[in-house]
Amino acid sequence: MGEERQTVELTVNGSAHECEVEPRTLLVDVIRDELRLTGTHTGCEEGICGACTVEVDGKLVKSCLMFAVQADGCEVTTVEGIGEDGEMGRVQQAMWESHAVQCGFCTPGMVVAAENLLKNNPNPSEDEIRAHLVGNICRCTGYHPIIKAVQKASNATVVELRSA
Amino acid sequence: MATGIEAKGYVGQRIKRKEDPRLLTGAGRFADDVKATDELYCAILRSPHPHARIVRVDTSKAKAIPGVVAAVSGAEAIPHWNMLPPAMDLMEMKLPKVYALATDKVYYEGDAVAAVAAESRYVAEDALAAIEVEYEILPAVASIEEALGGPWLADVVSGDGSTELPDNPLMPGETLQALGEDVGKGGVATEPAAASGTPKAILYEEWGHNIQCDWKFEIGDPDAAFATADHVVRRRVGTHRYSGMPLECRAVLAEYDRGRDRLTVRMSTQFPHQARTFIAAVFDLPEPNVQLLADDVGSGYGNKLQIDAEVIPVLLSKLTGRPVKWTEERRGWLTSAPHSRNYIHDVEGAFSADGRLLAMRERIVGDQGCDGAVRTAGLGALLVGGTYATGAYDVQSYSAHVQALVTNKAPYGAYRGYGKETANLPIERLMDAAADQLGIDKVEIRRRNLVDEFPYEMPAGPIIESASFRKSLDDVVEAMDLPALRRRQEDARAEGRYLGIGTVVYLEPSAGSIPMSVFNGYESATVRLTPGGQVMVLTGMQTIGQGMETAMSQITADRLGVRPEDVRVVYGNTESVPYGLGAYASRGATYGMSAVYEAAGQVRDKLLKAAANLLEASPEDLEIQDGVVSLVGAPAKRIEVKEVAKAVYLFPGPYAVLPDEPNPTLEGTFVWTNPNVSWTPDEHGRVRLYPTHGCGAQGALVEVDPETGQISIEKIWLCHDVGKVINPAIVEAQVVGGLLQGIGGVMMEQLVYDEDGRMLTKTLNDYQVPNSMSAPPVELMHNETASPITPLGTKGVGEAGVIGTPAVLMAAVEDALRPLGVDHVSMTPLDPQRVLAMIQDARS
Repeated sequence: MGEERQTVELTVNGSAHECEVEPRTLLVDVIRDELRLTGTHTGCEEGICGACTVEVDGKLVKSCLMFAVQADGCEVTTVEGIGEDGEMGRVQQAMWESHAVQCGFCTPGMVVAAENLLKNNPNPSEDEIRAHLVGNICRCTGYHPIIKAVQKASNATVVELRSA
Repeated sequence: MATGIEAKGYVGQRIKRKEDPRLLTGAGRFADDVKATDELYCAILRSPHPHARIVRVDTSKAKAIPGVVAAVSGAEAIPHWNMLPPAMDLMEMKLPKVYALATDKVYYEGDAVAAVAAESRYVAEDALAAIEVEYEILPAVASIEEALGGPWLADVVSGDGSTELPDNPLMPGETLQALGEDVGKGGVATEPAAASGTPKAILYEEWGHNIQCDWKFEIGDPDAAFATADHVVRRRVGTHRYSGMPLECRAVLAEYDRGRDRLTVRMSTQFPHQARTFIAAVFDLPEPNVQLLADDVGSGYGNKLQIDAEVIPVLLSKLTGRPVKWTEERRGWLTSAPHSRNYIHDVEGAFSADGRLLAMRERIVGDQGCDGAVRTAGLGALLVGGTYATGAYDVQSYSAHVQALVTNKAPYGAYRGYGKETANLPIERLMDAAADQLGIDKVEIRRRNLVDEFPYEMPAGPIIESASFRKSLDDVVEAMDLPALRRRQEDARAEGRYLGIGTVVYLEPSAGSIPMSVFNGYESATVRLTPGGQVMVLTGMQTIGQGMETAMSQITADRLGVRPEDVRVVYGNTESVPYGLGAYASRGATYGMSAVYEAAGQVRDKLLKAAANLLEASPEDLEIQDGVVSLVGAPAKRIEVKEVAKAVYLFPGPYAVLPDEPNPTLEGTFVWTNPNVSWTPDEHGRVRLYPTHGCGAQGALVEVDPETGQISIEKIWLCHDVGKVINPAIVEAQVVGGLLQGIGGVMMEQLVYDEDGRMLTKTLNDYQVPNSMSAPPVELMHNETASPITPLGTKGVGEAGVIGTPAVLMAAVEDALRPLGVDHVSMTPLDPQRVLAMIQDARS
């Protein structure tokens, strides 16, 4: 049942990698097991929960639904590639301040998805944020602080979803 | 007792969490993130049948596949391990005798039958298809009625006194029928209630029936009260099957060292020590030779409080001599990880003419799937439900009858709420029904019955030490501006739109301390001040996303006069920390924090003594702030904490700095127990298992679309009182997170079996959970009624959001649909089909 291995070239977070993979090897498994970038998580392998969200050539992808061979020659960004010089990026910083993290399992996917949004839409409305993050499930936070964090990171007006 | 809280304290502050930087940057350490050298991967073959005898399992073809190192069936595994030990064993509950890999029978679709260890997970999963299993299919028990062999309850009387069945949407497989049944007095029923027919099948033949636990209780004289009451109000209410669905499925890395007979198990778990104890028992290993490791855990919500399939990779590691990793796939989780809720109540209240609740009868039946006490430990939730069903109200005549039934479905485990939401549902729906029947306003009838004086002894035994029921309800009602909402509702109805309003009160018992169970009642901490003046806190609690490292750092910082960043919390390593019980029942802020507080207090005392010796002062005249010990009123006389620590340990050492002091290092250990827990039955046979009680109130405004059946939640109001708050941001985050789980459970999430016991919801397409579009606006309010029995006044938080949510949403939907003739909304799920069914039923 083993399949013949192929070589794929991936540029991940700016670094070039050459990996030997089976055609059926999922991109998320290459990222986690071969490249040892374990920030990207597997939560369902059905493409629904979003814990495996990465960027491939600038587009958000559920890496549990992509074969590594499909990403051959592509630029991949994972959560480890967010932020610069060891400093957290603006979404991460805002999430930290907004208490938008609890168990942390959905967090890398959320960060990648939110950064992708702000790259293309620097001042999203609350509805745009909710729609963009609809592919990232969180079971812990109830979403309010995540949405607020994205608003803060974008300098958009923070609309209080939760008043206290 | 001194609180040790300094004026510029960290307790009570919204400081940012220490856990977050690693989690935000992808540097967390979840079980699957750790790799062992030469590791193998485990895949589990699960039964496609809900109930069957295993005739034959042949793993030979799987073993022959290149890359497969081991394949084992339940029968092949028997010599290598023991049956699963019970997670709870009280109230004469029945305990299945099963192995983690099924041997003679499978009890649910998803039951583990065989397992494979291979060089890659892909090969392991391929190999499952090569395992041949021959089953002899047995009839499947797919409902409470099939489990009992007949209908469940006495004449169902609806609110107006007639004997018509309430028009409620049914749970799949359920029917509403009538059967007379007496509720006896007190004690544990040793014989199950006789049913009129034969169960469709019996899961555990040696039991002779399908009742895992049958508990009756009575106090006061409910019969007399019911016989003479002005009004008797009765409701049937219930929920369907759903569960926590943490984003991280189960994950285990097991490594057995044959040379030393030592086992290291890394696991996504909420309770490392109990896990170690059970794993040692399953493998007959000396417990000191077993080490359990858990760093980051991708949440649990109660669903990771058992040892079931977790021992399968351990077995494979023993058999192969190599580390074995098991990462469960989502389908496996949905079919075999703990299920929850799925109970029906038949509740009756005897009311006076002015709405005072004089007596209450509560009957609960729960569908436990194949087991709620061995593979998992959810059975206790039903008992908690029966114990707390009188809720926030003053009533002293009470009878309860709780039955936990087994069916051919996945095991029943703990899930956020653990019976507190079970208890809230009948009493809050009863209050609404009584309000309707008696013609009293729904808020007013509650006001007439709320407990005001504390401590209050509930009829079934728990003592509510303090609470703010009335104020919480008042705060919510005021914030909602009910008159304005009612006007909006009227205006909307004139336009053909249906708004609905609900208000409930809830009780949040926390820190469950259940004897003869894994959910026991103590917690341990060791606090160590190092020679460098920094602190290690070794706790038996477990990080599962609840911000424990931050909160413990805040408390320790205040207690020792250091900064939170100088404190490192150590957990999740059974070699490092004292035996503790982990995270469940919102026990962190009571048990967990209190143990840390007391252990840190021991260190503080010795630190002050040493500093006093070095400063030639009295310990009572010293204070510690920001890492400096100084004389009160004369701050120039000072010494840094790290200087004191260095002096105690090494330079010069304790003989000089702490002469004649027993245990003269800056370490302290404490095991905290709660004085309000009592396991000795009183004259009524009552015990007290939950020592602290938070509370609150909740309101909901919904709109229901009668064409589509869609419910949209316009707003939720939630007032919570969890006692002393250590970090308000962490508390609020938990409340809102729990609220969304509550909403998801009521409206979206469904674990469904068909009438043949076949599991229908195996993917996240089927089991729909709330997403970013689902979160409604929430107005949070907050009261703080300190507990008089914990050192910090804390009570515990974590479950608030799920407790009142089912009742308040049912109430609001019922209120919205009343003009369409829907009188009772009593069952979940409140999904569009069922809402439309209710409307249709009312029309015909």
